[in-house]
Amino acid sequence: MRALRLCAILLTAAICLPSQDLKEFEKKVTEFTLANGLHFIVAERHEAPVVSFHTYVNAGSVDDPSGETGIAHMFEHMAFKGTETIGTVDWPSEKKALDAIEEVYDRLDAERNKGPKADTTRIGVLQAQLQMAIDSAEAYVEPNEYLRVIETNGGSGVNAGTSLDSTEYYYSLPSNRIELWFLMESQRFLHPVFREFYKERDVVLEEYRMRVESDPEGKLTQDLLATAFAAHPYRNPSGGWPSDIVNLRRADAKAFFDEYYVPANITMAIVGDVNPADAKRMAERYFTPLPARPLPPLLHTVEPPQPGPKTAVVDSPTQPMVAIAYKRPDQYSKDDPVFDVISLILSSGRTGLLYKDLVQEKKIALVAQASATFAGGRYPNLFVFFLAPSVGHTVDEDLKALDDLLGRFKARKVDAETLARVRSKARAEVIRRLDNNAGLAEMLATYYASYGDWRKLFTSIDDLNRVTADDVQRVARQYFVLPSRTVAYLAQPGPVGTPAGAPGGRP
Amino acid sequence: MKKTLVTLLIAAASAAAQLPPVSAPPHKRAAGAARPAAAAAPSYQDLKFPPLRPIQIPKVAAFTLPNGMKLYLLEDHELPIIHGVAQVRTGNLFDPADKIGLATMTGMVIRTGGTRTKTGEQLDEQLENIAASVESDIGESGGSVSFSALKENTDEVLGVFKDVLTAPEFRPDKITLAKTQLNGGIARRNDDARGVAEREFADIVYGKDTPYGWDMEYATVNRITRADLQDFYKRYFFPANIELGVWGDLDTAGMKAKIEKLFSDWAVEQPPVPEFPKAGGQTAPGTYLAVKKDVTQTFFSIGQLGGEFKDKDYPALVIMADILGGGFRSRLVERVRTKMGNAYDIGAGWDANYDHPGWFEISGGTKSLSTVETFQAIQEEVDRIRTSEVTEEELKTAKDTALNSLVFAYDTRAKTLARMLTYEYYGYPPDFIEQYQKALEAVTRADVLRVAKEHLNPAAFTTVAVGNPDDFGRPLDSLGAPVHMIDLTIPQETPEAAKGDAASLEKGKRLLARAQQAVGGAGPLAAVKDYIRSYDLQVEPSAGGMLMKETDRWIAPTYFRQDIALPKISVFCDGKAGWFATPQGSGPLAGVQLKQVQGDLFRLYFRLLLSDRIAGRTVNALDDNTVEISDTGGAIARLELNAETGLPQRLLYEVARASGPPIPNEEVWADFQEIAGVKVPRKITIAQGGRKFAEVKLTGCKVNSGIQLQELQKRP
Repeated sequence: MRALRLCAILLTAAICLPSQDLKEFEKKVTEFTLANGLHFIVAERHEAPVVSFHTYVNAGSVDDPSGETGIAHMFEHMAFKGTETIGTVDWPSEKKALDAIEEVYDRLDAERNKGPKADTTRIGVLQAQLQMAIDSAEAYVEPNEYLRVIETNGGSGVNAGTSLDSTEYYYSLPSNRIELWFLMESQRFLHPVFREFYKERDVVLEEYRMRVESDPEGKLTQDLLATAFAAHPYRNPSGGWPSDIVNLRRADAKAFFDEYYVPANITMAIVGDVNPADAKRMAERYFTPLPARPLPPLLHTVEPPQPGPKTAVVDSPTQPMVAIAYKRPDQYSKDDPVFDVISLILSSGRTGLLYKDLVQEKKIALVAQASATFAGGRYPNLFVFFLAPSVGHTVDEDLKALDDLLGRFKARKVDAETLARVRSKARAEVIRRLDNNAGLAEMLATYYASYGDWRKLFTSIDDLNRVTADDVQRVARQYFVLPSRTVAYLAQPGPVGTPAGAPGGRP
Repeated sequence: MKKTLVTLLIAAASAAAQLPPVSAPPHKRAAGAARPAAAAAPSYQDLKFPPLRPIQIPKVAAFTLPNGMKLYLLEDHELPIIHGVAQVRTGNLFDPADKIGLATMTGMVIRTGGTRTKTGEQLDEQLENIAASVESDIGESGGSVSFSALKENTDEVLGVFKDVLTAPEFRPDKITLAKTQLNGGIARRNDDARGVAEREFADIVYGKDTPYGWDMEYATVNRITRADLQDFYKRYFFPANIELGVWGDLDTAGMKAKIEKLFSDWAVEQPPVPEFPKAGGQTAPGTYLAVKKDVTQTFFSIGQLGGEFKDKDYPALVIMADILGGGFRSRLVERVRTKMGNAYDIGAGWDANYDHPGWFEISGGTKSLSTVETFQAIQEEVDRIRTSEVTEEELKTAKDTALNSLVFAYDTRAKTLARMLTYEYYGYPPDFIEQYQKALEAVTRADVLRVAKEHLNPAAFTTVAVGNPDDFGRPLDSLGAPVHMIDLTIPQETPEAAKGDAASLEKGKRLLARAQQAVGGAGPLAAVKDYIRSYDLQVEPSAGGMLMKETDRWIAPTYFRQDIALPKISVFCDGKAGWFATPQGSGPLAGVQLKQVQGDLFRLYFRLLLSDRIAGRTVNALDDNTVEISDTGGAIARLELNAETGLPQRLLYEVARASGPPIPNEEVWADFQEIAGVKVPRKITIAQGGRKFAEVKLTGCKVNSGIQLQELQKRP
């Protein structure tokens, strides 16, 4: 269950949840849905005059159309570019200039589409014209005005993120400026303007270079997903494939926005020093104009059964790393809590079995962690183990040690003390969340969007507590099996011209 | 050595008390309709905000215990949790130069090594069973032992906390674990380009020979002993050197009594801890390039030594750096990211420190091809902010941003206590953050220009670029400054030869003479001036299972040529330098490869056995049958003689590797055959790292056939 987000290493936080905690917390929560379907959750915490906001859109990279991977992420970038009134010095002129860009680009694409018959000189001319049109439109831009407004008003932690399942926007404000959030957030979804689109495409490509192409772990994760999933869009990187990114068009982003950013697909959480009645009033005032639209169609592509074990090698002149993934059902499966419990048993804290065995006793790994729901939860996904061999030890050694450990894990039921420890940690995790506005806002919005009920923030712990040793063994035996396994690892490329394959000398 | 500061030390870049109310300026454009249902969109400039509700700064109770430990208590009854942190005045700035990593390792093993009465594993179970934690850590200029517990487990966890803080046992298996982990970190330190840029920038700016700029290496980590850890702990962990902060669902009087009683038997004393070393002036301005070929971006850090939080100009410097590169509204982001599309990540900051100069850093990443163009744009922006005043709007934006977000420095009680502990630790006045806020409000455009001129010295900037120069398009030195190359090679740990005395050296000579006799005599050995030998090398299945056919040629004293059939590789070395060649390409012998071949030459049979007559070599007996041979270049090998026959039967040495410490090798020599009066082993079994690696069979050997140097040097 992705939304649960239990830390792999829970070294801090000792918290106990009194049995009436949900009831206590419920008193602080107000919920309401506008006529257009937009849902709000408001939780009061008056300790300090600050408020955190979290907007959760139930659409992510998994919803990118084929050939347009990266469009959900691209729209996330566009959502900071402003509106018809924010970020422009002259909207009517800018609109004309933006349309002019698209008109030239359409002609450019039309010429390119002729394939081998295309006129390369004409393409060169059109490209120069396109650049001129882009430069002209630039003149009407008030750069980064949208973000500037938030920051100068004390916005803290301003950011957004696109994952496979969702796109989320969040920040915090001093609590006397709550109305600013209502205005800015509603405006960006009512009148978004996709300005500086093609420049931002370059920025998004830089982000891809940073996160994937120049990062061994990024490369590994990308290849793991692309190998594990043959058909399902979980195989695509969240930022999109580079060749798709460089061909994204404004109209693509607009189409994605129109289809997926419908009010009924969006949840907004507000946590902190807020008056719920004021919040409701402002929500109605600013968000009512958002027109109701039908929910987007569900994704119907299903990953076919894995035909056998898969392996992927990523050449990298860096230290080795290996990821081992097993196919598992989506977060709505009744076994979802069992996977979370397994993850806690295997890789939480220093008592996690992986840590004890591979890191502490055998010392063949520096890192040995499990992730119960990777990289999204809405659809069938992966239970993943990440291992980093210690110096002088190999991926093969770590793999063998993991296999042996999983073999023992499946053969012997976990004991009562281990289960008790897991339950203790899970209860503790819930209270930790309660002392952080931003974290709470994220959890409330996520649980509501994923399950239709924010109370799952608490009841998910009850689900965990009901997991038995039998459940753990059954699920491990059913899912940690070779035919469902994908292994991806970093390996040094074969040495070119290393003298003497054998070490040492001969007399 | 740069490390994250102790947990909960907040490098307060911004903070303040209550904010004066700020309302939006009156709207200049025509007002839209009152209801947003009508056509005109509402404007943020129309919004009027009520004044910010005043923040109650909670009162922290402060005491000094009889044993000298300072105690700070803060009540917070929102959730049933207790936290605590004991701040210790220590840090890796106190590492000795030959044992860099000592403080870090001490910080790790205090917790993992368990206490006098409980092993680390027992503590792990006890704490995790109740979802509590006790952790320890030592950073650059601070150390800590911290805890977190459910209120109902307070007494139990306080007990564990006290034991860990006062009676760590440093059990050996956890020292081994810590070394494994630290060595792993060293081996991986070049894998992440941004990390490389940050590290090299900090190291160069502070000086690689200083405690601020040096890094752990395998040799310094592996030298650390249990006694070292215990001594380090003892020197710095004593009550008078500790500030203990506890906050959460507690009662002040009750907790004070509890802690007093708990620590009443801890009265160790030590002399006051010395001042931390001073950070020097900038030692090496210039442009530095670290080549990394597996990236498509250049990661850069550009800047210089900075200042301290308490500098008079600090507030103006923060504003200046903010305008230059502090966020989306800044000059660098607008130009390099938004306008040029050259970067996702770019920014600038005046990162000060409490008690030593921090740095000014412009950092980011840009695609390889845009490297020079991006650096140029950055140079221009730095020059611009030093030559003309920033605009009124820029100044207002920066000040509003800083001042309006100050409330977030006070939004949790934990932050208040942490700030107090930090100010106490570094000797800052308790109202420092309020003073800072006032100074921020007073910064003018003239101030920003003045501090940019006085404090930024672009001619003396350190520029570190990490990337692939093959793809730069334009070379980096086209910017005008010469480029120094950074060598990222991780130094191998060099094994050290045993010390010999007159007796053992004499014995060593005799042992070697015995070996010489056993193989046929020193005369026949020395008479061999060249050879051609061929081998079959059968690698173990677990290591690949290849069968390699190899031919070696040697001409005295140190000319060596090796040719392998599959994979096709040829190597030549004259003792100091050489080349390798394969069908895919060729190049000079360098780095690890050169070391390996030089090792082969050092251990060449006909020379090894005559080590007593080779200048620069030492022959030292380790026991009745083992002699250790070393040379001034650092090469070492141990030769074991058969007790009856005196024949050399086992050779032990270490082989350098591309990453990680050298790996131990063992050769067992058998099946001796006489060639030109010298007994030579025909069968050699090689084990690596304790596991069998390969078996070598000598298939042919010709000595003194008069081969010429040109033949050895001829490229395939």
